[in-house]
Amino acid sequence: MLDRRTLLTGAAGAGLLLSAPAALRAQGGGSGPIRIGALNPITGSGSPYGSGMQKMIVAVAEAVNAAGGAAGRKIEIVAEDTQTNPQAAVLAAKKLIEANKVQAILGTFASGVSLAVIPLCNDAGIPLFHVSGAPALSTPPANAKGLGFRFQATNDRFGRAFAEICTREGFKRPATMAFNNASGIGNTEGFARAWKAKGGQVVESVVYEPNQATYRSELMKVLAAKPDVIVTGSYLADTTIILREWFQSGQNVRWIIPGWAANPELIKALGPDVTEGIISVESISNEGSGAFKLYEADYQKAMKQPGTANTYAAMTWDMMTVLALAIEAAGTAEMPAVVAKLREVANPPGTAVSSFAEGKAALKAGKINFEGASSALDFDQYGDVTPNFGASFVTGGKLVRRYVVEI
Amino acid sequence: MDAYLAAIAIVALIYILLALGLTLQYGLTGLINFGHVGFFAIGAYAAAILATHGAPLVLGFVAAAFFAGLAAWPIGLVSLRLRDDYFAIVTLGFSETVRLVITSEKWLTNGVQGIPAIPRLFSGLTVGIGAQLAVLAVLLAVTGAAVLAMRRIVRSPFGRIIEAIRDNEDGLRALGKEPARFKVQVLILGAGLAGLAGAFYAHYITYIVPDQFIPLVTFYVWMAIIIGGVGRISGAVVGTALLMILLEGSRFIRDVVPGISEVEMASIRLGVIGILLVLFTIYRPQGLMGDFSRK
Repeated sequence: MLDRRTLLTGAAGAGLLLSAPAALRAQGGGSGPIRIGALNPITGSGSPYGSGMQKMIVAVAEAVNAAGGAAGRKIEIVAEDTQTNPQAAVLAAKKLIEANKVQAILGTFASGVSLAVIPLCNDAGIPLFHVSGAPALSTPPANAKGLGFRFQATNDRFGRAFAEICTREGFKRPATMAFNNASGIGNTEGFARAWKAKGGQVVESVVYEPNQATYRSELMKVLAAKPDVIVTGSYLADTTIILREWFQSGQNVRWIIPGWAANPELIKALGPDVTEGIISVESISNEGSGAFKLYEADYQKAMKQPGTANTYAAMTWDMMTVLALAIEAAGTAEMPAVVAKLREVANPPGTAVSSFAEGKAALKAGKINFEGASSALDFDQYGDVTPNFGASFVTGGKLVRRYVVEI
Repeated sequence: MDAYLAAIAIVALIYILLALGLTLQYGLTGLINFGHVGFFAIGAYAAAILATHGAPLVLGFVAAAFFAGLAAWPIGLVSLRLRDDYFAIVTLGFSETVRLVITSEKWLTNGVQGIPAIPRLFSGLTVGIGAQLAVLAVLLAVTGAAVLAMRRIVRSPFGRIIEAIRDNEDGLRALGKEPARFKVQVLILGAGLAGLAGAFYAHYITYIVPDQFIPLVTFYVWMAIIIGGVGRISGAVVGTALLMILLEGSRFIRDVVPGISEVEMASIRLGVIGILLVLFTIYRPQGLMGDFSRK
């Protein structure tokens, strides 16, 4: 049995344990390593991507250090888990900013998390690099100080890509099905806006609640409108159930599904018969680029999977690289100066470079333009990038990319 | 570092307010409320909606407690006819209903997009730790007041009656007391505390979205009061503090012990809490601050 005295001793011990690292950290100082926070969705709904994202930040930091560091200083990564949950993410971000004194936070995933973390970054005057889709992250109040940078397409741009593909495939009667969260609805509403702007109409749109065992009634409602294609804003688990139930219904319809749901795992779960002809749309990594080859090698080494398995990991790879390049170009880790250099090293004109080492050398000669692994990585005035979208068709149990959509 | 500790303290105090409400309902009166997060959500949204429409912040806090308490009223009426596990199911259903209503009523709550840019408390103070300490001070005062009020309640005739409801409702009825009114009052009081906690939460996190108000929050509060000691006011405080130390303190283990990846840490963290709960229920079912005079 635990009596109160033992408990108090234990609590005091725990307190000492907690205060020890603080004492150690206080000796860090200004000329030591530059601390960067990797704040990723290790657990929760982002967990399929989170650890790959985090490992890529660490991998690039190692490469930067091997190349002599940025602005003459080593990079040190402090990693945390957002649990894909705003409250946990806020505490983790506070810890990174206050206790670890990081100079930037990289790799938040869910929109809710990024929206909750960005006010803290604004207060601390450090940049937040994220892969969230919510349009609200581009503009004030969230991005009032221009410290937020998005390495992913907005949900709205996804919707425009869906509409583009619909036109190209000659569909006339699209319907939409959306998972009830900001990202799911963002996709289908973005699609509806773009499609209506082209003069089309959406025959039915359904929003469904997550975590159901069956989606039959939602599906029947959509199928009753006799669409020729169903555009979804969905995730893997629900898409699997919906497609199985659709196949049982026997009605002939095509599907346009975002790439994070229509992936090899979906085909494995349902088999080639059900999935034949599904169009999977994703913001494609900059696959021809030199940066992508380097990323691919890093990802293969860290995760034992091909780099295409995790688009977000390519984005975090770019985050660390472009940040290190901006620090190198600024010659200091003072964030206002570094943020001012971000567009300069990432956007044209300039010598195209694919890695930190290459960029560091080229910076001596003049301006550079980093071409990323996830996209060409040119930031617009809001700090957003515009990746291209790939339309892949499931053919005989394999995803085959037919064409690339630029918007 | 100070600001981080302040942040942990603020979140811990918000959870202590939630735990106090549940202690009143379950610990003292024996009402199994599995829908605590529903009242928390109502408070958070009431405060957020009023604040983003320019209402004075104080009004938001009053409204948060009021609406959460109001929502508890019908639940209280239900509790008159349902006991124990049946009541638990109804409350769980209630909190999910609240979440679905918030998700669906876009005109009011902005649906799944959530409400961003909720003003912070004391944003007039300079950036840095000043505003945080002010929030902390207010929360401490509110929590302190809640603790004192609950001590008064426990020692009053009202407190004796609600404990009697928990221990033997039929016996109480036989003595000529009608439990109904007391149950409704207890639910409204506990829900009001949860609503107040919600208002602090909304103003502190500054962004709320229905995903944050899942039943897991309810069960965190349950874990805290089970660890701390059901039916003890000190138990609610100590249990919540311990849970926060476990959840947050584990972040620092990785700074001192190298070679643990964040993936492993996340699993260890949940595992430790799970083991702790099992050990507590086996070896100390009355909780850390449990009453030694009872079983």
